[in-house]
Amino acid sequence: MTAVPTPSRTYDLSFARWVRENVEGGDKLNMCMQCGMCSGSCPNGQEMDNGPRKLFMMVRAGLKDEVLSSSTLWECTSCYRCYVRCPRGIPVTTIVQHLAALAAKEGYAPKNKVENYFFSKAFWWSAESFGKTDERLVTMKYFFSFGFGEGIRKALDNLKIALGMIKAGRMHIGLPHTIKNKSQLKAMIAKAKELEQKG
Amino acid sequence: MTFVERRGTMAQDGPHSQTIAVIGGGIAGLTAALEAAETGYDVILIEKEPALGGRVTRLNRYFPKFCHPTCGLEINYQRLRKNPRVKVLTMHEVVAVDGEKGNYTITAKKLPRFVNEKCTACGECGKVCETEIDDPYNYGMSKVKAARLPHEHAWPMRYVIDPVVKGTDDQKRIEEACKYGAVDFSEEEEEVTINAGAIVWATGWRPYDARKLETYHYDSSPDIINNVEMERLANHDGPTGGKVVRPSNGEPAKKVALIQCAGSRDVNHLPYCSMICCLASLKHAAYVLEQYEDAEVHMYYIDIRAHDKMQTFYERLKVDPRLKFIKSKPAEIGLGEDGRPYVKGERTIDRELYCESYDLVVLATGMEPEAKGVDIKGDVVKDEDGFVLALEGEDGGQFSCGVAAGPFDVALSTMSGTAAALKAIQAVGAR
Amino acid sequence: MSDDIKIGIYLCEGCGIAEAVNMDELEQAVANQYQVAKCQRHAAFCSDEGRAVIEKDVKDGEVNRVLVAACSHRVMTDRFNFDGAATVRANLREQVAWTQPPQDEDTQAFAKDNVLMGIAQARTCDLPEPHENVVKSEKILVVGGGISGLTAALEAARAGHEVTLVEKTDQLGGWTRKWSKLIPSRPPYRGLIDNPIEDIIKAVEENDKITVMLNTLVSKTSGEPGEFSVTLSQGGNETEDVFGSIVVATGWRMPDDMTPYEKYGLGKIGNVISGVDFEEVLKNGLEHEGKKLNTIAIIIPCESEAMPYTSGVADRIAIKQAIQVMDADPSAMVYVLHDNLRAHGQAEELYREAQEKGVVFMKAMVKSASEGPELVIDDLLLGREATLTGLDAVVVQTGMMPNSTNPDLPMAEKGNEFLCDDVNPRVPITINGQPAGDGDEVKAEAAGDGEEASAVTPDCDPENPPLPGGPILNLQYRQGPHIPILYNGFIDSHYICFPYETRRTGIYVCGAVRKPMTTAEAKEDAAGAVLKAKQAINLVKESRATHPRVGDLSYPHFGLDICTKCRRCTVECPFGAIDENEEGYPKLNPSRCRRCGTCMGACPVRTISFKNYSPNMVAEMIEAVEQPDPFDEKPRIMVFACENDAYPALDMAGINRREINKYMRFIPVRCLGSVTLMWVSHALEKGYDGVMLMGCKSGDDYQCHFVKGSAIAKERIGKVEETLRNLMLEPERVSFEEVSIADSKRVVELLDQFGEQIKGIGLNPFKGF
Repeated sequence: MTAVPTPSRTYDLSFARWVRENVEGGDKLNMCMQCGMCSGSCPNGQEMDNGPRKLFMMVRAGLKDEVLSSSTLWECTSCYRCYVRCPRGIPVTTIVQHLAALAAKEGYAPKNKVENYFFSKAFWWSAESFGKTDERLVTMKYFFSFGFGEGIRKALDNLKIALGMIKAGRMHIGLPHTIKNKSQLKAMIAKAKELEQKG
Repeated sequence: MTFVERRGTMAQDGPHSQTIAVIGGGIAGLTAALEAAETGYDVILIEKEPALGGRVTRLNRYFPKFCHPTCGLEINYQRLRKNPRVKVLTMHEVVAVDGEKGNYTITAKKLPRFVNEKCTACGECGKVCETEIDDPYNYGMSKVKAARLPHEHAWPMRYVIDPVVKGTDDQKRIEEACKYGAVDFSEEEEEVTINAGAIVWATGWRPYDARKLETYHYDSSPDIINNVEMERLANHDGPTGGKVVRPSNGEPAKKVALIQCAGSRDVNHLPYCSMICCLASLKHAAYVLEQYEDAEVHMYYIDIRAHDKMQTFYERLKVDPRLKFIKSKPAEIGLGEDGRPYVKGERTIDRELYCESYDLVVLATGMEPEAKGVDIKGDVVKDEDGFVLALEGEDGGQFSCGVAAGPFDVALSTMSGTAAALKAIQAVGAR
Repeated sequence: MSDDIKIGIYLCEGCGIAEAVNMDELEQAVANQYQVAKCQRHAAFCSDEGRAVIEKDVKDGEVNRVLVAACSHRVMTDRFNFDGAATVRANLREQVAWTQPPQDEDTQAFAKDNVLMGIAQARTCDLPEPHENVVKSEKILVVGGGISGLTAALEAARAGHEVTLVEKTDQLGGWTRKWSKLIPSRPPYRGLIDNPIEDIIKAVEENDKITVMLNTLVSKTSGEPGEFSVTLSQGGNETEDVFGSIVVATGWRMPDDMTPYEKYGLGKIGNVISGVDFEEVLKNGLEHEGKKLNTIAIIIPCESEAMPYTSGVADRIAIKQAIQVMDADPSAMVYVLHDNLRAHGQAEELYREAQEKGVVFMKAMVKSASEGPELVIDDLLLGREATLTGLDAVVVQTGMMPNSTNPDLPMAEKGNEFLCDDVNPRVPITINGQPAGDGDEVKAEAAGDGEEASAVTPDCDPENPPLPGGPILNLQYRQGPHIPILYNGFIDSHYICFPYETRRTGIYVCGAVRKPMTTAEAKEDAAGAVLKAKQAINLVKESRATHPRVGDLSYPHFGLDICTKCRRCTVECPFGAIDENEEGYPKLNPSRCRRCGTCMGACPVRTISFKNYSPNMVAEMIEAVEQPDPFDEKPRIMVFACENDAYPALDMAGINRREINKYMRFIPVRCLGSVTLMWVSHALEKGYDGVMLMGCKSGDDYQCHFVKGSAIAKERIGKVEETLRNLMLEPERVSFEEVSIADSKRVVELLDQFGEQIKGIGLNPFKGF
């Protein structure tokens, strides 16, 4: 990965082109026709400063600092509504999340935002996948959210605690536990999201 | 060359027909048929509905002139009445086409009308008929007698009876009421074949099924309608006699949202721009503004695509302060708790999120080609979206015009209809 | 001849007529009228048996004029068509049985009057004898050697016609020659296509049927379809030729006024170039003035800033050019600055292709341009002002101005006022009575000209026509050398329903002179125009009228013995069909004539008539209606209804069983333009209490199928007041209403209102005299 260029002038496309080459889904970003479907669909849209649509326009305009400092990156809950509805088939969620990762890496994001964001994402991932939070997986996913090297480092730091927990019978070994009727849980989550959006 | 070989060659060539078949009796097909016939060629015009006129006969007005489609249609029907060269087949639905230039076989499903050419349109059958059906002329927004004249400007001016009455008491009543021997319930659906030397596809379009736009909840409220229904609502012979009201309760629809690109410009639905919707919606805005002094119309759009001369039309309407343009593709439309539909999304110009309630929401649904489901073989191209195009070059004998060929407005449809007439004439051998 | 007239009346009893009307009484009242040879009744004359009854009478020579008193003339037209006998219709169904209370005294009178009018019509209406038209040439003249003209020539040749293609410059190809690549018009609607213009030119040059004349202008055109005499001037060398019809494909030019584009720096700042010139750069591999371009802004001017009719084409060209830049140099930076991006129809796919390739589209207003070039823009979606710097070039998409005149030629000496022969002045759309839009567009009402008496004169200033330049065909017509335009310089036509029907019969227009269009659209358009050109020759061969009264064999006859040379007919004809001969008398060119009868309506001495439609015929019909005894207090009102829109609306009122005012009597007219004021005054003299004219909408968005007929009638009726004053009658007795075909409800209300108005004024004092 080449270094993220800093545009020399307004609408210098170097940043946009870098995003196109280096951010997952970035090759589709320029397909945006600025219709607003994504931002309008976002259940967390009120919390965002820009929303994905405007964020994408800012990428094109080369507003690197503003893009990577945007709260939009941290408010995405990965509900994928924008992705599914986008009339241009742009993987909006993917792009936003990878921009968030980029922001974290480039040191734009406030530390707590990054940690909270990565943790809550890991937590939700487990809850949605298994109906339970599997501490091992949540922790590992959280650690590796910071990148591979950082993940290894964090994991080694916590190895002792983990082994202690296993010994004390507080953490099991083997396949993650799941709940019965996972499909019903999914329906419940979907409904909850819908209510949240309406409210 | 032996005698047998020569016979063989002849059989292969088949009979060369100079008749031009036009499939579809909407504005494009009518134009193609009449232009060819007035140039001296025999034409068979095949229409699946009981009357000609297609989509445009259901429209209230044309943009940008605000004139009525029946005005131009009337002239075309006058031309048709005086021209013995055009043979019109109504209630014939083309299901397959095979063959080659000079010798095509068109297979059509002949649907029973239960009324023959002796019908005088006196209306006695309609009087005694008790069964009512959803009026297809009004897209089901109102009821109509099962024995009916398709509409006041129907051509041919002949009644049609819906198959639901077959075998009921209504059948007996209808048979007894007709003094002219015009009712014939023995008619069955049958397959017929038609031969022609050249074919013009003018099968037109249908509105994109708004139910497929899941987040727009078209079915959740009768006050969420599509653009062709809006045309009926504003039309003097529509379900409300031309009053733009809320279909749910008949109250005036003063606050109206017009939603552009409901299906069009969307890779999940119709990838192309349907061309007409922006202008049709501007026209819809004018309908509302004309009827209510205190109207409030919001047009949600991505781009206002007022092409060629239409820009003037847009500029002329733009100045009305009661009409607001909101650059936004609404994310969600639904039925609010107050019983009115709401529209939700992001205003892109100022990045504000909105959720507004309306009396009426009109989805500008795009055009989907009707030819999508027809089995077409041979010298013609059908693209991924179902539009039909003639072969490139000069070899084919099948041509297309109107929305069968692409998302066109009426001006482009009449233009392409006239052009298709020439191509067909060239194909059967200009003389 | 009149001695030989044998009218057969066929009273139909079907469709509720016999239930509504006392048929015995009706038969008695009409059967013994003068020249009525036969009166028969049948349960349904449209049935095979019913039709046979009439056919037999005609065959046996018992009748030679058929009056079918049944349904409206709009239905069963082909059914009631008998060889050797003129057929007229009396409307007893839609107008009487379906709109009047049954078995009522007034209903009976209505039915009787309709039949009596039918008898009068049958008596005065003859079978038309076709004009002996000559087709001297089936050759088609194509004017303009651009993509439209080249395609038209090839299409006409393929349709079996000899073609002469004239081009004013020294080479074929027009603008298209300049284009580096073209927009795809076929699936997959992406991927630009190579410009085929050289192949097309070659095909034209190699075609035996096509004669190409370069450096050639049309210096004179006279005659009519089937025999247009055209003088062609090739570098001053004049030759004459005869053509059957003409296709005008003169295309477009850069706007005469380029000042609106100066704000983008065009013509002022270096490296700001027009979209047209940019094509040359694209051909040169992005090289411009020795420098390779990389960073480019393409501006699509906002319409209201520039011209009102560039829309769509400029947008698609901008997308195309942006794609070309990216194809040539994937590292290039291209910004397309637009307001609404009109990538309509399948061009959406092209838009996507451009985005895929990295073109940046911005909804932005350009506020100013400065050296560099630099652009200050208002980025509407980011809500901020920004300066675009580092640009190698700025491309400005300019408008397309239709070549309805030739800018290289001096203005014609006379007849310029007919270029914009505007009895249909541009008016803004009104909503709730309030005009919407720019009030400046409203033009003054047509001003009268003393010289031309009451003839409608165009309001276009002959000194300052809307388009500068000379005429394209230099028509040697009474109405001047031009093909009339509607507005913005585009040739006048019913551009939605009947786009090719210009106001000069036999001359069809295609390409960008008709409306802005792309190369692919122009090719399609050319095929359409050629069809019409072929069709015109075909119809003239059969002595039949062209659109919209296609097939009509009748044509106007001029009784020159009483002609006063007032010139109204020659000036008012919407299609310029009538010239003046050396002595100043009208001279009809029958193949130019569309048979609307506007000349007939114009003639103050009633000496213009058709075999089956004449001032006398209508006058007789007016007289045929029985005026009730004044003491009955029953008014009679004559309605002249245009048969294209108003009459169908009345029919549809009947189909919907809406009650029509029982005091009205209707005469369908070919066009309101054919209504002579004499009919109005005649009706009032004969005791009618009121007269109403019902026709199509006039004005900028006119719906009149004969373009000006309705507007002319309006103008004429404005002058009827004096006539009424002379007759000591109230002007309110005459009314003019514009109705549309969709007014099947409104017509009924209008008639009732007028009925009330007449009641208010009181009965006509002439009644009973």
